[in-house]
Amino acid sequence: MAHINPSGDQELIERWRDQPASLLPLLHAFHDRDGYLSDDALRAVASGLRIPIADLYGTVTFYHHFARVKGGKARPRVCDGPVCKLQGCDELIVGLDGATAMPCAGRCDGPIPVLQDDEVLIGTQPGALTAAPPLVPPPNPGGIDECVFAEVRDPRRKTLAGYRESGGYRALSRAVREMTPEQVLDVVSGSGLTGRGGASFPTALKWRAVREAGGGPKTVVCNADEGEPGCFQDRVLMDLDPHAILEGMTLAAFATGATRGFIYLRYEYPATQGVLETAIEEARAAELLGTSVLGTELTFDIHVRRGAGAYICGEETSLLNSLEGKHPFPRNRPPYPVTNGFEGTPTAVNNVETLASVPPIVDRGAEWYAGLGAGEHKGTKIISLSGDVARPGNYEVPIGIPLKTVLYDWAGGAPEGRTVQAVTMAGLSGGFLGAEDIEEATLDEPSMRARGSLLGAGGVMVFDDSRDMVEIARQAMSFFAHESCGKCFPCRIGTQRLTERLAGVAGPKEPELWKAEVEDIGRTMAAVSACGLGVAAPGITGSLMRLFPEQVDAHVNGQRK
Amino acid sequence: MSSDGSSNGSSNGSPTLTLDGKVVPFETGETLYEVARRHTSDVPTLCYDERLEAFGACRLCVVEIEGFRSPVASCTTHAAHGMNVQTKTEKLEKHRKTLMELVCSENPRGVEIDPMRGHASQEMTDLAQRYAVDGTRFEGAQSGQSHPDDPNPMILRDYDHCISCYRCVRVCAEQEGDYAISIANRGFQTQITTEFNGFLKGSECTFCGQCVQTCPTGALADNRALQHTREPGEVELTRSICPFCGVGCSVDIMSKGDKLVGVRPAMDGPANEGALCVKGQFGWEWVQHPERLKNPMVRKDGVLVEASWDEALDRAAEGFRRVRDTHGRHAIYGVASGRAPHESAFSVQKFIRAGFGTNQIDNCSRA
Ligand SMILES: Cc1cc2nc3c(=O)[nH]c(=O)nc-3n(C[C@H](O)[C@H](O)[C@H](O)COP(=O)(O)O)c2cc1C
Ligand code: SF4
Ligand code: SF4
Ligand code: SF4
Repeated sequence: MAHINPSGDQELIERWRDQPASLLPLLHAFHDRDGYLSDDALRAVASGLRIPIADLYGTVTFYHHFARVKGGKARPRVCDGPVCKLQGCDELIVGLDGATAMPCAGRCDGPIPVLQDDEVLIGTQPGALTAAPPLVPPPNPGGIDECVFAEVRDPRRKTLAGYRESGGYRALSRAVREMTPEQVLDVVSGSGLTGRGGASFPTALKWRAVREAGGGPKTVVCNADEGEPGCFQDRVLMDLDPHAILEGMTLAAFATGATRGFIYLRYEYPATQGVLETAIEEARAAELLGTSVLGTELTFDIHVRRGAGAYICGEETSLLNSLEGKHPFPRNRPPYPVTNGFEGTPTAVNNVETLASVPPIVDRGAEWYAGLGAGEHKGTKIISLSGDVARPGNYEVPIGIPLKTVLYDWAGGAPEGRTVQAVTMAGLSGGFLGAEDIEEATLDEPSMRARGSLLGAGGVMVFDDSRDMVEIARQAMSFFAHESCGKCFPCRIGTQRLTERLAGVAGPKEPELWKAEVEDIGRTMAAVSACGLGVAAPGITGSLMRLFPEQVDAHVNGQRK
Repeated sequence: MSSDGSSNGSSNGSPTLTLDGKVVPFETGETLYEVARRHTSDVPTLCYDERLEAFGACRLCVVEIEGFRSPVASCTTHAAHGMNVQTKTEKLEKHRKTLMELVCSENPRGVEIDPMRGHASQEMTDLAQRYAVDGTRFEGAQSGQSHPDDPNPMILRDYDHCISCYRCVRVCAEQEGDYAISIANRGFQTQITTEFNGFLKGSECTFCGQCVQTCPTGALADNRALQHTREPGEVELTRSICPFCGVGCSVDIMSKGDKLVGVRPAMDGPANEGALCVKGQFGWEWVQHPERLKNPMVRKDGVLVEASWDEALDRAAEGFRRVRDTHGRHAIYGVASGRAPHESAFSVQKFIRAGFGTNQIDNCSRA
């Protein structure tokens, strides 16, 4: 037999061809081997997986992080998210040889992250970048009972042994040995747990729909794409508590009847992939995953799939297309993933935080979790707090707690000598809240929706009174324009036009006409866009015009400071 | 998930819904767009081609359904029994106008497009007129990069006019099965491309022209027909059948005066439903080529000269006879032209079998 180069094209193709969701890992294998994706590599992948070459070429160009020129993968990518802008990322990009910008990379609570090959460095000065440590949340400032953060500060929690010591896998072993799937569904339903990834859909309802759907094999997907600027809670959970996510997914599998699982991990978290894969290996070795979980009839395994840089791939149907190797446009719904998900099979797509909440809920009971909420609200939510705030970081809060309690009492409010001008909600997807709302709002969906906003994935970015809100809005809109998938007209063109108007490079020079244009575009985007990105984006301009009309007028009149 | 296929029949069997105040029946599985179009309401669209899977890009076909928070795209929403659907409210018309203003703003020249470009090339222009949009509102950057340098004489790739409806990409994949073109980049940077952004001739393209004929803006254009733009006269369309092969694709022949200036597939052609191949679509110039044979020719002393049909047929018969007499009947081999329809192909085999007594009969399309 001819000698085979251990990482020759054919080897790589054979390694992945028959694996589930094979396109992304195969592309990464070539990308890692060569430091970019060459034409030859794409041709080899196309013929190896029998994908039309034009389709593959188009799909590869969709992703921000696949380099198409030699040496491209090693070039530094500097986060230019809204908070890193405040920290001077633009100078860092200029100062770093060959550096380019990347959208928010999910470390808004520390120095600017720089992705270089498969390493994340942090810093603000070109010569002084250091390795990025996992960030451990501070003890709960409210002294409040937590769910997902209760044990994460213990460094042993990351290993299987440590996880088990603090009660890990107790819920799973009880579920598979003593409970029926129906009983698990009842507990999750009673807890009031809703999706923490943005849409707040009741988790048990989703799982029941998958359980009752015909056909299979059924699938559980953990959505770890965390692309929303200002959100960095899923990263912390995965880095510090990987087994909680695996256990949550396995409980989901037990409840829904799913046999295969995927974790769709964003490209920007390279170290996290290793953490998850190590945990999966530990779990397989301990029969917590595999063909007979804990000696029972439950069969379930988990595969990690790394994304390649596309916020829209956090949208669940776009994510499924990406996993399947298709062009990652969102799908038309119905049908929904619960009946027609991964490769058309019934699929539960759940967020990291949602899944990590499940083991403690099954372990400690529905009433316990429901009781963690404030007032009539149930449960907790992690809030990622960043920007002009004394103590940025992740805080697990009772749902329904006043925003100002978290912002001022827990996180210390604006820096010395400054006041809070505005905060964003749901990362960017909830638009801005101004001083009045900050005073009155509570952290729950009804309160946020009443203010035209969203709690969503829980990212809150703070901007003090020195900030130019039109410029902040421009950055936000240019993020949405950069990430618009291009499938539908209102968002593809609308995000571009709104960005141009906020940048002052196009559009009327008369405030009333300017506002009429921006309002008309926003209204149509919000009403008829094909997915949540285009629906949410005009929340930025809408709230900007409502809260800061003088700044908008000054901008249009060319009188900005 | 309320509308998910729950189109249970009404008491008398066929399900119904209320469309702009009128109760209308529909068939299970139909989309709201299909139902609406059947009942004369003129719901606008730019990304729809009835032969393709509904895609939901342009959002112009949005309708209001009672009980739904936002309008939905009628092309991707299945009709359900009891739905109350409005297709033309003031709100919807305002959204449509804004959408047209947006799409014309990236394409202001798109409001005047030479109809010679292709079958669907006026769709965008017509809608711009209907909504009185001229491309000046929402001005800003333009999307799409043209490929005027693509060295092929048939398809003009004028992506300055492209509005990213992806009908071309979808028709190439779903109808032609060639997957020659695809979508590069995303958002406003989206660009129709071939593999590695090369020329069509180096791609999987078979030059069937289907992408040209479905393009609603003329961004993809029939370059052969465009050569005749400046010639005087109105274009007249004549329904005919493509003469190239036995499939019998329906075509609309474009002529100016008595000059052939182009061919278009008939979208309602029963054999082709808007499809043609490169020959039928682009290979018509021989019709009026100066060297085209118009009379039978026979060779006299080694030179081809015009002859009457009688003389030519006699000469052919004599040739057949000579071969049979000298080499036997099995020296004759009949190959029917792939362009021959059934009846002619039948006559050829009859001629060979009955006339010469051999079964050596074939068809050139067999390969
Ligand atoms: C543009 C867009 C981006 C999204 N990004 C994410 C994401 O990064 N992570 C996530 O969990 N959900 C994201 N979602 C929400 C998912 O579509 C989906 O609702 C969620 O993963 C379901 O899980 P959950 O019910 O546990 O929240 C996004 C939605 C949209 C519209
Ligand atoms: S709203 Fe934006 S991101 Fe969503 S489908 Fe439309 S273009 Fe794509
Ligand atoms: S001419 Fe035919 S094969 Fe070529 S790109 Fe167009 S549809 Fe595809
Ligand atoms: S070239 Fe024509 S058919 Fe293709 S996407 Fe552009 S406008 Fe649509």
